[in-house]
Amino acid sequence: MAFARLLIRRVALLIALLATVFVAVDLLPGNSARAVLGREAGPDQIAAKEHELGLDRPLPVRFFEWISGVATGDFGRTARGRSINELLADKFPPTLLLGGIAFLVTVVASLVLGGWWAARRGSMLSRLLQPTTTTAVAIPEFVVATLLILVFSLATGWLPAVTITGRSGFPASPDMLVLPVLALAIPQIGWNTRVVRAALLDAARAPHVESAVLDGLSPTKVLTRQVFPFALPTVVASFATTVGMLLGGALVVETIFNYPGLGAVLAGSVADRDTSLIAAVVALTGVVIMVMLAVADGIRAWALRGRA
Amino acid sequence: MGWNRRQLLRSGLGVGAVLLVAACSDGGNSGGPARRGGTLRVGALGSAARIERDPHANLSNDSDFLITSLVYDALTVPAADPNVAARLSNRWESDAERRRWTFTIADGATFHDRTPVTSDDVVWSLRRLRTVGGASKMPAAVEDITADGPNRVVIALPEPNTQLPLLVQLMTFTVKKDTTDFTKAIGTGPFRLESYQDGNARLVRNERWHGPAPLLDAIEITMFDSVTALGNAVLGGQIDLASNVGAIAGRTAEGRGDLRVVRRPNDTMVGVAMRTSDGPFADARVRAAVRLGVDRKALVNQVHSGYGTVGNDILGTGDPLYDKTIAQRTRDVDRAKTLLREAGFDTGKSYQLLTKAEAPGEVESAKVIATQLADIGLRLDVVTQESNAFYDQTWLKAPFYTVSWGTNDSALFFATKLMSSGSNRNETGFKDAEFDAATAKALAAPGDSEYAAACRDVQRIEYARGGYLVWGMADGIDIATSQVRDVPTLGGFARVQLERAWLAD
Repeated sequence: MAFARLLIRRVALLIALLATVFVAVDLLPGNSARAVLGREAGPDQIAAKEHELGLDRPLPVRFFEWISGVATGDFGRTARGRSINELLADKFPPTLLLGGIAFLVTVVASLVLGGWWAARRGSMLSRLLQPTTTTAVAIPEFVVATLLILVFSLATGWLPAVTITGRSGFPASPDMLVLPVLALAIPQIGWNTRVVRAALLDAARAPHVESAVLDGLSPTKVLTRQVFPFALPTVVASFATTVGMLLGGALVVETIFNYPGLGAVLAGSVADRDTSLIAAVVALTGVVIMVMLAVADGIRAWALRGRA
Repeated sequence: MGWNRRQLLRSGLGVGAVLLVAACSDGGNSGGPARRGGTLRVGALGSAARIERDPHANLSNDSDFLITSLVYDALTVPAADPNVAARLSNRWESDAERRRWTFTIADGATFHDRTPVTSDDVVWSLRRLRTVGGASKMPAAVEDITADGPNRVVIALPEPNTQLPLLVQLMTFTVKKDTTDFTKAIGTGPFRLESYQDGNARLVRNERWHGPAPLLDAIEITMFDSVTALGNAVLGGQIDLASNVGAIAGRTAEGRGDLRVVRRPNDTMVGVAMRTSDGPFADARVRAAVRLGVDRKALVNQVHSGYGTVGNDILGTGDPLYDKTIAQRTRDVDRAKTLLREAGFDTGKSYQLLTKAEAPGEVESAKVIATQLADIGLRLDVVTQESNAFYDQTWLKAPFYTVSWGTNDSALFFATKLMSSGSNRNETGFKDAEFDAATAKALAAPGDSEYAAACRDVQRIEYARGGYLVWGMADGIDIATSQVRDVPTLGGFARVQLERAWLAD
């Protein structure tokens, strides 16, 4: 029951967000008819296009029509006449692949680094991790991306600088994924490593851990049985937030690496004032984030089972 | 019908012109015979959201335009001198009034599916271009485009226009009659579409092309969202040619032995529009002061990284009839100050210079101009607007704003499109009876000498009292690996004419 209420609340939130997108794009100066036709177009041509696109109708009507379409699984058409469903079907899988790998890399790296750091305070590694994680968090993705390209591609020639799309719509070779994944993951690893470390240290201070240590359990057992389950809700919540950050960062990173994904579509659609397309991208990423939050909630409930 | 053969346009020389242009287009830096074979990997700018495969729609992606102009043939293409050359049409002539134009289809022109090109196909394509693209792409009405026999097409215009062969270049892509689905892309061009995936395409040589057979086996076109990625791709060796990649990448590539910077002069005009009809710049003396107050050489060096040439306040610098005899304006701060004083210009106030990040260097140019004009007492606030907002609120309205035009069209083209009283793109609010008379005369000129004389008048008025500050022209910058030869060196959209390119060993 509680779950159903939560779901309704989140769907309502998403709809409100989408309505805000419609209003926000409408408030931007310029319109998609002009963007589509170019500056050569005369006023009558623009008026005809506006009518064709339905821009001459009131905003609430346009929003209602679009959202009722979405309810039946139809995101409508772009201002240039392409099916948005097809566009998303083409462009979302590569973004999902990039974001998915970056997410896995983030999870593994931050668990290992954070765990290590928590276990060996004062070691060489922890002295190194303190400044590097702070720096990684602070540097935006585009700077990381640029540095990676400079070092690993233009200076050494080890990895390709940009993605060339193969006939499948995915990168033509797997090594083209390395730098975009790193550019996306490095800032997130910086953040999550700190969270993991803090959560583990917090959990280790709990009284039952002390008694377990006094009971003579091995350090590994203490970590996996006593410490980690207590740190898990915090860590999972942080990872769930990371999903949103990765999707947001993908927009920038995809442009820099010429990666074929949703990010480039969103950038172009904002320039075009293509409301339906922008809202569709927001809806899709919104759903992904909602699902991840739900998963995080589930894990949290499971970790706290019988305790809260 | 009142036309006779003496009035044939000299520009309609036919296939010979194409060969001449191809021979002139430098590209390689070493001799040796052209080699057949190889795949050219080209990167071109484009955005996934703006992909367009309809050759008659507004092609805003460079990548789509490149694919389209290699797969399809337009009636004419850009050239150096004369500035228009034959393509699908090998000959054209007009009546004495310059209103009825007849284009003859090149002998042996066939579609990629081996069917011959007929006048019905061309008429269908031109009519569709008018319907889909509007009057700016095809100046004749649908019913005024007709077939005249199996291989001739007549375009009748409401007003005389000597510029028609130029206006149809790289616009009039010919498709088979009744085609509305362009996924198969059956054209008549030098390359056939082999595969297409989201803006990226592989094209293979059309062995039966009516023009001289291309040397490349194939061209692979990859779409790039940003110039940075495009530049990195060619620097990193992932592509052979980065089309229109800009001055910054050019500077980086300059020091590399394996890469060559291809400079295409007169590619883009980044300038300033001053409103002539009303407002603070309506007085011609104020405009003259602005034109004298800028340091053009410094602007070209700072804004275009030196990849450009100084302008003389006349648009259409790539035109063979561009008047080089008019004295070059140079900086004269004292004279500019005097002119402002004589005009009673209020130097106590500050004025807005509106700009947008559209053409490379456009925003930077506004900032440099503001600094330079401070020396003559003109205080400017540079306001950068988002492009869409700019076209909504500023363009055609504001008294002082930056403009950019990226073509190599004729001086007369810009005069009629941007400065004649009746134009709906009159960026400077220019209304000048003498100017209108001169442009009308050039549009209806019965012969070359009359045309040249009228074009000279048009340019002299632009220079004397026009509303544009044309301080310089940016070169188009392509970067190619040293194996790539005979790529286009003309400015503007001529960059898409890759059918003569070849790869050395």
